Amino acid sequence: MTAIIDMRKVTKAYRGVAAVKAVDFTLEQGEIHALLGENGAGKSTLTKIMAGVVEATSGEMLHRGQPARFLTPNEALNAGIAMVFQETSLVPSMTVAQNIYLGEEKFLNRLRGVYIAAQQFLQSLNFNVDPAAPVASLGAAKRQMVEIARAVHHKADVIIFDEPTATLTPEEKRHFFALMKRLQASGVSIIFITHALEEALGHADRITILRDGELVATGKASEFDRAKVVQAMVGRALTQQIYRKRNAAHLRKRGAKVLSVQDISMGNMVRNNSFSIYDGQITGVFGLIGSGRTETFKIISGVYKRDFVRGGDIELDGRPVRYNVPRQAIKDRIAYVTEDRKSEGLFENLSIAENFFSGLVAAGLQESSIVSLREMRSLSEQWSERLKVRAINSRAKAVELSGGNQQKVVIGKGLVQRPRLVIFDEPTRGVDVGAIAEIHQLINDLADEGLAVVVISSYLPEIMNLSDRILVFRQGRVVEEFSPVNATEEKIMYAAVH
Amino acid sequence: MNILDFFRGKAVTIPPMDGALKPNRSLDEAALVVAHAEPDNLVADGHSLFFTAGAQLLELAHGARQARVVETFPAAITALAKSEDDAWAVALQSGAVLVREKREAWREIASFKCPVALAFGAGQFLYLGNGSEAHPPSAWAHDLMAKGSSGSVWRLALHAGERERLADGLAFPFGIAVDHAGGRLLVSESWRHRVLAIPSAGGAPQPVLAKLPGYPGRISDRRGQGFLLCLFAPRNRLIELVLQEDAYRMDMMAEIPRDYWVAPALASGKTFLEPLQCGGVRTMGIHKPWSPSRSYGLVVELGADAEPIASHHSRADGKRHGIVSAVEWLGHITAAARGGDCIVRIAAHGGGEA
Repeated sequence: MTAIIDMRKVTKAYRGVAAVKAVDFTLEQGEIHALLGENGAGKSTLTKIMAGVVEATSGEMLHRGQPARFLTPNEALNAGIAMVFQETSLVPSMTVAQNIYLGEEKFLNRLRGVYIAAQQFLQSLNFNVDPAAPVASLGAAKRQMVEIARAVHHKADVIIFDEPTATLTPEEKRHFFALMKRLQASGVSIIFITHALEEALGHADRITILRDGELVATGKASEFDRAKVVQAMVGRALTQQIYRKRNAAHLRKRGAKVLSVQDISMGNMVRNNSFSIYDGQITGVFGLIGSGRTETFKIISGVYKRDFVRGGDIELDGRPVRYNVPRQAIKDRIAYVTEDRKSEGLFENLSIAENFFSGLVAAGLQESSIVSLREMRSLSEQWSERLKVRAINSRAKAVELSGGNQQKVVIGKGLVQRPRLVIFDEPTRGVDVGAIAEIHQLINDLADEGLAVVVISSYLPEIMNLSDRILVFRQGRVVEEFSPVNATEEKIMYAAVH
Repeated sequence: MNILDFFRGKAVTIPPMDGALKPNRSLDEAALVVAHAEPDNLVADGHSLFFTAGAQLLELAHGARQARVVETFPAAITALAKSEDDAWAVALQSGAVLVREKREAWREIASFKCPVALAFGAGQFLYLGNGSEAHPPSAWAHDLMAKGSSGSVWRLALHAGERERLADGLAFPFGIAVDHAGGRLLVSESWRHRVLAIPSAGGAPQPVLAKLPGYPGRISDRRGQGFLLCLFAPRNRLIELVLQEDAYRMDMMAEIPRDYWVAPALASGKTFLEPLQCGGVRTMGIHKPWSPSRSYGLVVELGADAEPIASHHSRADGKRHGIVSAVEWLGHITAAARGGDCIVRIAAHGGGEA
């Protein structure tokens, strides 16, 4: 095999701090190469250098044996290197077809023709997405599909996927990996970054592991197993500790009923949904994409409104509530930690301190109506320490943080509001194993302190490990409740699917 | 109250079954004690279990496989009670209330329109729940659909022939248990989905358990260990809607046989003529346990403070529906499933969520 990309001693430093330190990396022609590492390990930075998103501070990159230096993603794309980003970079106001063909518009465009071509193209990839649908109306999984379709459409010979499967259902993942194999068969080289170790072990030809910006291990996938990968990633065996099975003795007893949801409805997404949430317990919520779980909790936290007529009842501490805006829910001490941290969770261009402080302001808990830098700094130091946010300093912008640290800031923004009910929507999506352990510990601590905690997750081991009770959503309503002691992944999945 | 609530109309909401009411299959998995058509009104002593079926009072001795008929009455038995000193009371469909003490003959002490609950109190008193002033016991569904609230609770002196009304204006008081420690009666008010506490000596009723997801029926005392409450049918949105739609409901009651009304039932799925009741959702031939249903089986274990502790269910896909009576017999919860034509034995605290 010949190396299509060969990186030699590549370093990238931000404000003097190296995100990638003298890394050697090769991508062979027609291989699937998994790139693993904790958040902040430098995986995204390394691939962004290849894709022309950022420029290396030092080192050399060879593309097909020739020195290459891409200053923009477009230059890389013209050279046949495409990157599918973790946070999708689609234009929300345009349709799926328009996004796929973005940049290839002719002087006169026949929209119908574009839609037909897009339909055929999406079908060839086994993606069930309406080409005429505006991207803004799509869920995270379908946006990811469009992003992938766009990269494939550009006929790139190197495609870099950053966390491609984080938002996909098991069925969609199967399609995705079949697509990856088809691309490989046609000679495309693929790098994919993932936190799901089984995906790397099961689908990659080679694996490279980074830790703290340095190359730790690289080799054939067959030479690795799960324990070896985790050991290399974090320097300690963690996964068994994170995803251990609960037993009855470890389950928390329910406290007082905090929230009673009765027959809430919102269009076709949430239908006559009823359940309760209790103090001092973690209620795990599992459901497939489209089961209405996120929408239900967005109604509770005032992001969405339930049906005007016969929309059901929500009682907080026995008091009926109906929120028109999230601020009202925040004032009632309900914190919703969003699954989409980029567009809903953070002010990317504000500092960590300003992000924390914005949470405080939303709850009206700041000491004075004039912004106090001292208060902001002390708040930031307190929460950065508690949440173990790793950043150069509190003035670092949120956009400069790794996914895991961004997630911690989003969580911190909610917790500064001193909530009594905290709703975590996919709290560890796109977060590495090390940060997952820290976030899980934090969630457990909150429940131990007596707070009512809800964890919505698509990852069954996470639900089974964290929850004191498990609610399964299907078609907009709770269809089953399990105790984690006698629940199995099969039982939960059966309830969610059938 | 928001000003917009006037335009929204009254919401039809049913409390969720979770927490102590978390669904399980405890009733369907419970051991069969005896199979018998439409068993009702359980009473237990240290050796035998007594139950009624139609006009018969039957006894099932410990270890026996067959029940024997103890007594046959001229009309169907609608309520049964037994005191510590072996006094018996029965209420009949005809309205008569009969008492037998110390193996003497049965004597009628009172008559009511709809006697559905009996419990002996201290000092030669018998407490009685009169479900309705308009309908007999067998027409309970009619009383619900007519939104009846003419029920009352009475204290009857066994010998003096006196009777005192303790509460009235109740929406079908279907169960009575005497809380000796608290000096009060626990009364289930079925159509208002709640349990009331009424001072034994008389006084204003106070709700102790409200917003139940079904229609509460009989309550039995567990001798200082709390109570057992039966919910004989589930609430569902279609029935709640029909209860709001007066014109439709009146037409239905006038024109359709009672068995096929959109109303709760003790058993369902026996004939295609029954209303579908929101679907009875089936996927690939499997009846989904969470689907809305006309009938359900539910026994709730209450603590001494009448708060739910645990529960035992037969869900939409189960058969042991219409639990009308439950008692503790020889250390086990024993329940009569009138819709399932059987009496079953559940391990105490074996189901639900402790």
